[in-house]
Amino acid sequence: MAYSEKVVDHYNNPRNVGSFAKETPGVGTGLVGAPECGDVMKLQIRVNVETGVIEDAKFKTFGCGSAIASSSLATEWLKGKSVDEAAKIKNTDIVNELKLPPVKIHCSVLAEDAIKAALTDYREKHASAPAGTTAR
Amino acid sequence: MDHFEVFGLPRRLRIDEADLQRRFYKLARRHHPDFQAQAAPDEQARALEASAGVNAAYRALRHPIARIEYLVRLEEGRETKEGATVKPKAPPVLLEEMFEIQEALAEAKAGGLTDEVRATLSAQRERLIARYRDEEARLQGPLAEGWDVAAPAERPARLAALKEALATRAYLRTVVDDLGAALGDTDGRFTADGEIEGRDRHVAHHRH
Repeated sequence: MAYSEKVVDHYNNPRNVGSFAKETPGVGTGLVGAPECGDVMKLQIRVNVETGVIEDAKFKTFGCGSAIASSSLATEWLKGKSVDEAAKIKNTDIVNELKLPPVKIHCSVLAEDAIKAALTDYREKHASAPAGTTAR
Repeated sequence: MDHFEVFGLPRRLRIDEADLQRRFYKLARRHHPDFQAQAAPDEQARALEASAGVNAAYRALRHPIARIEYLVRLEEGRETKEGATVKPKAPPVLLEEMFEIQEALAEAKAGGLTDEVRATLSAQRERLIARYRDEEARLQGPLAEGWDVAAPAERPARLAALKEALATRAYLRTVVDDLGAALGDTDGRFTADGEIEGRDRHVAHHRH
């Protein structure tokens, strides 16, 4: 199966590989996996707790090229978004951007799950912080 | 008709394999195209279809672990219709552990595999193989029995336990394979017995 150019690009030059210390203020961590293929994906966001804007995002994925590309792309998209905007990222957006074939759609689902898990973790740790919606 | 029904069997996990084989032979003979040579063309076509169905059913039920995977798919299909799918999830602790092992492996590879590192990884792999075996034994033993004897109301919980154990087994296999690949361990010891299907699936996945 041939990977699309974008998948190959993200695989060869993954963006934002790395991690933040879990307990750093503003950091939300999502760790998810796909038992069918044994992939594990960790995605983290670092949110400005004053504004609710995601200032940085990092990932580490052990899995196939599509899983790596999906999470790499997700971190690119997360940066600069508010927590509420980030929650709107859908796996289908990733599928379209990376032109993933049907057998690799589960990789994009995994990336969406990772985003959701990171946002949930952030919200649980910062229950009173702003979500970064339009100024009131 | 599901694969259990093909053989006239209830949806149970502990199957007498000799009995299954007898049922398979009997049905295979009945539908075999060679015995249908005198039949009308549309009957021949039906026999061919039935023959393919019997073969598929036997493949699905023959191996105890494959049988559990099939049962889970079958039961989930029914759940889907009722709009209640639950994704198979491995325990979070396991996920963390698998992540840490993969991370350590990546670091070890980047730093060059010294003899000491190799010995550590090799010992870790042995431990993980033992856990993999334990998980398979648990699936085929107590968990399969748990499903077979469960009252209808208990079945969702039993199914969840089966799914979690299958997920655990799948993760363990991945790290064992990845450790094996890093160590250049190609003696096939782990993948030799009954693992061919899983290995093919794994290879087809093109992990890097």
